Amino acid sequence: MAEVRFGKAVNMALDDALAADPTVILFGEDVAEAGGPFGVTRGLLEKYGDRRVRDTPISEAAIVGAAVGAAMSGLKPIVEIMFMDFVAIAMDAMVNQAAKARFMFGGQCSVPMVLRTPHGGGVNAGPQHSQCLEAWFAHIPGLKVVVPSNPSDANRLLRAAIADPDPIVFVENKAMYSLKGEFDESSEPIEIGKAYVARAGNDVTIVSYGAAVNTALQAADKLASRNISVEVVDLRSIQPWDEEAVLASLSRTHRLVVLHEAVTAFGVGAEIVARMSDIGFDELDAPIKRVGAPFMPTPFAKSLESQYLPNAEDVIAAVEQVLA
Amino acid sequence: MSPAKSDNSVPKSRLLEFYEQMLLVREAENRLSKLFADGEVPGFIHLSVGQEAVCVGVTSALKREDTLASNHRGHGHALSKGVELNSFFLEIMGKEEGICGGRGGSMHVADMSVGMLGANGIVGAGIPLAVGSALAHQVRENGAIAAAFFGDGALAEGVLHESFNLAALWKLPILFVCENNGWSEFSPTDRQFGANVRELAGVFGIPSDYVDGDDVLDVHDAASDLVTAIRAGEGPRVLECVTHRVRGHFEGDSQKYRAEDEMNSLSNHDPIAKLESVISKRRIPKKEVAAIREKIDAKINAAVEAGRAGNAPDFDRAQADVYTAVRGV
Amino acid sequence: MSHVTNLNMPKLGLTMTEGTISEWMISPGASFKKDDVVLVVETEKIANEIEAPADGVLHDILVEAGETVAVGAPLANWDVGAAVMFEAAVEGEDAAATTPEPAKEIAAATTSIEVTKITARGVESKRIIATPLARRIARQNDIDLADISGSGPKGRIKAEDVHAAIAGGTSRAAQSSGVTVTSPDVLPDRRAATSYETAAARRLTEAKRDTPHFYLSTEVDAAALLALRQQLNADNEGLRISVNHLIIAAVARALQENETANCVWRDGEIMTYGTTDIGMAVNTEKGLFAPVLKNIGNFGIASIAEAARELAERARSGQLSSDDLSGGAATISNAGMFDVTYMGSIINPGQSSILGVGSIREIFRPDEDGQPELKQEMGLVLSCDHRIFDGVSGLTFLNSIKANLEKPLRLLVN
Ligand SMILES: Cc1ncc(C[n+]2csc(CCOP(=O)(O)OP(=O)(O)O)c2C)c(N)n1
Ligand SMILES: [Mg+2]
Repeated sequence: MAEVRFGKAVNMALDDALAADPTVILFGEDVAEAGGPFGVTRGLLEKYGDRRVRDTPISEAAIVGAAVGAAMSGLKPIVEIMFMDFVAIAMDAMVNQAAKARFMFGGQCSVPMVLRTPHGGGVNAGPQHSQCLEAWFAHIPGLKVVVPSNPSDANRLLRAAIADPDPIVFVENKAMYSLKGEFDESSEPIEIGKAYVARAGNDVTIVSYGAAVNTALQAADKLASRNISVEVVDLRSIQPWDEEAVLASLSRTHRLVVLHEAVTAFGVGAEIVARMSDIGFDELDAPIKRVGAPFMPTPFAKSLESQYLPNAEDVIAAVEQVLA
Repeated sequence: MSPAKSDNSVPKSRLLEFYEQMLLVREAENRLSKLFADGEVPGFIHLSVGQEAVCVGVTSALKREDTLASNHRGHGHALSKGVELNSFFLEIMGKEEGICGGRGGSMHVADMSVGMLGANGIVGAGIPLAVGSALAHQVRENGAIAAAFFGDGALAEGVLHESFNLAALWKLPILFVCENNGWSEFSPTDRQFGANVRELAGVFGIPSDYVDGDDVLDVHDAASDLVTAIRAGEGPRVLECVTHRVRGHFEGDSQKYRAEDEMNSLSNHDPIAKLESVISKRRIPKKEVAAIREKIDAKINAAVEAGRAGNAPDFDRAQADVYTAVRGV
Repeated sequence: MSHVTNLNMPKLGLTMTEGTISEWMISPGASFKKDDVVLVVETEKIANEIEAPADGVLHDILVEAGETVAVGAPLANWDVGAAVMFEAAVEGEDAAATTPEPAKEIAAATTSIEVTKITARGVESKRIIATPLARRIARQNDIDLADISGSGPKGRIKAEDVHAAIAGGTSRAAQSSGVTVTSPDVLPDRRAATSYETAAARRLTEAKRDTPHFYLSTEVDAAALLALRQQLNADNEGLRISVNHLIIAAVARALQENETANCVWRDGEIMTYGTTDIGMAVNTEKGLFAPVLKNIGNFGIASIAEAARELAERARSGQLSSDDLSGGAATISNAGMFDVTYMGSIINPGQSSILGVGSIREIFRPDEDGQPELKQEMGLVLSCDHRIFDGVSGLTFLNSIKANLEKPLRLLVN
């Protein structure tokens, strides 16, 4: 098993998909010649040519809209939006077109496309280049949202996403691109909608996704030295999300903390808490805690941003509260 | 180096004024580049080195009450519109005393008191803001106009097309300034935009002009003419300034994608060098020019010191600004 | 004409301060006839059936079954025409005026809402705070959460508190866990408790939990007592005097001799009764009641017998009023008709002692010469509330009773 960086793992999945299926095409701003603003698409233009790997102008509405149209016409487009913040410009294509085409056209077509985009802060990129907006998409019936937490998952989930017949938002945390992790090239794609117990424990369950899973694991490590046994559930995909796995874990630990980098209010965590307080009501031995960003835009200054982003200490504090 | 044109008609004081302003932008950015490399500026910054004639040439045709919406490469727009230098550095260095409290940084410098509606992290997003600002001037009949600064890359955004249409339909007092530096990130303009901005303006019936964006006197003249028409109520105008991006798209970009020839030719287009040659032809004593340089240096040194001395922003105060504080009745 | 008023928590006895709704017998929106039972209210004493004063319609139920609210708190809106409300009930002027105030304290747009400030329907709620899991485990193990104190934030009962209680034996299931179930198809039968049983269970649990009991026992030589009774009944005239009547008289006299014994603990204060009131346990079809004989201090034995007989009769025919069931510091529970030597009883809530009387038994005791002498003895156990009695005052009271019973002639002298 080799160590692979997150960005490279994504690159390998794209590479495999382009090699395996001639209907897969890739386009976005600076993804071809330049190999992507984060170097994720490096080498693909050279390998697959400019018919299938294309640079686009700065036209997010058209990029995503075109992906929808291409998907309705026999291709499997993979498009990149350089920062998740910019999806705001392409929302119509995702929300009113991609998400609804199959349904409102009576099931005549699917929209097999993947929109890849990086979210997340930690690099002082300021209010318009740091947001975690996945909840927007998770709220839209017809879209699926996948958020990997490590290089291996990024590869295996992306392969599943490309193979999936429906529109998928595939979210990569930009601070993780250079993160290294074990990756077995022969591993299978991961089924979308299934969570993974990243660490088993008895006292508290932390449910998370994306880079925040690593924060949860750090917190779990620190808590283990205090004899607090934390189970970490990595959702891997937030729409659909694995209610059963979360309920199963809650039924073991009876205490739940939900963690994500995104703003807490009206976030993915709110949905998880709502469901668990319903179907998991009788399992709860403490109120469920959410840990996430406060209700404010991501600030630029280092000191502000580090206070803004949820960290292991915040998670530990929440765990202490549910154990009180 | 092509000689600058309108050399004799311009008074000496004007020349030195332009010189000082361009130098301020240039030296401020050179210093930011260093601070960034030294880790004193967080995040990422886009420098407009080589493009100083555009911001100075246009803003010198504007009044203080006119408004300006900018883009990600907005340091020059901010400084030449009158944003105070210390609070500018404090902001980019992420300090409480920064013009935006350290919450926005380089890509979001704004100062409403001088009509600077903000740099912008979203390509194209400033354009409709300027349209709206022009609408406000029109409705309020205050005689002011708005200016939108955008790069050639923004021409591909749908919102630019929508903005041209709206401004033309409503005859809004707005000057659209396209800073065409030939690059959009790592891609050349010809692979980004299939038309050109003046043709596009023509489709909507918006008169336009085209200048060498490295010649501050040309830019100023062209801008002044257009602004006069706009103030006369004739509706929107477009000014395309052809210019050159010297540094990478952002600091740290090694520009491997640019040809060596192109890189080597950049010095021929330096707007400051161009103006210096005009100044020297006008026999303005070297001493005066040197004094300006010293003055700028001192100002920037002071600003950097102020930036370093600034405080880390207060989190609670930042959070309290998410919404406008509404006082109880 | 519609005349919507509030149905308030009635005051069903002198000492009643709050009541628990055991059951609503009429559903919201349904109509009822005069004297239909509208709801059952459980007080510290018993389950009371509240009957409709007139025909009418029940509108909204404001307090659900299981909740406890103060006397006078609105329980429902109803329309009973112009009919009078229960005398004791605080009468509502009109529905709007007495509509419970919504919780006001929810601060707008703040993240921390002080939950404690929000009281249910304007009435201080006595809700048990427990986690859902704790509740589930308690339910499954037949544990009453009211018996458990929580270790979580704000006294919240957590699963581990319930587990601890189970381990400590609070659970009926835990107690019976030694029972071997022979066949899986023979499942123990279950039925819902009646509202009387629920009320009794609740108040007994409360009494045993909230009153610090201690017990004193002795034997009474019953020879003189039995002899006196025989004499009193010899002429076959008037009411037959029973041993029980004599015991009542003995306790009445002892109460007059021991002021402490006529005191009760009431919300942190000590209340002394000015009259001699004695509760007496009466077994009825519906269960055990302890109605109170009031003001019998000056009664002769015949009057005592008369009053006791009348009260027992009312108890058996289900005609006790709430007032019958309140007051008094002491109760007599006489098990003499059964075979029991000593009976330690639970003090009735609100009282400070109960005397458990055993059956009269023959027993050899050494006489002065050490020779066996056949005696007739009655075992007495006095359960005392330690907040009122200490060992000495308890013994003094018990010895007074014993003396009165062993020298019963004095009971005939006022
Ligand atoms: C909506 C949006 N898409 C993409 C980007 C990323 N981006 C930032 S600057 C830039 C290129 C802009 O080119 P141009 O408008 O010519 O300005 P220049 O950088 O040349 O000054 C791109 C693609 C962005 N910030 N916003
Ligand atoms: Mg450009």
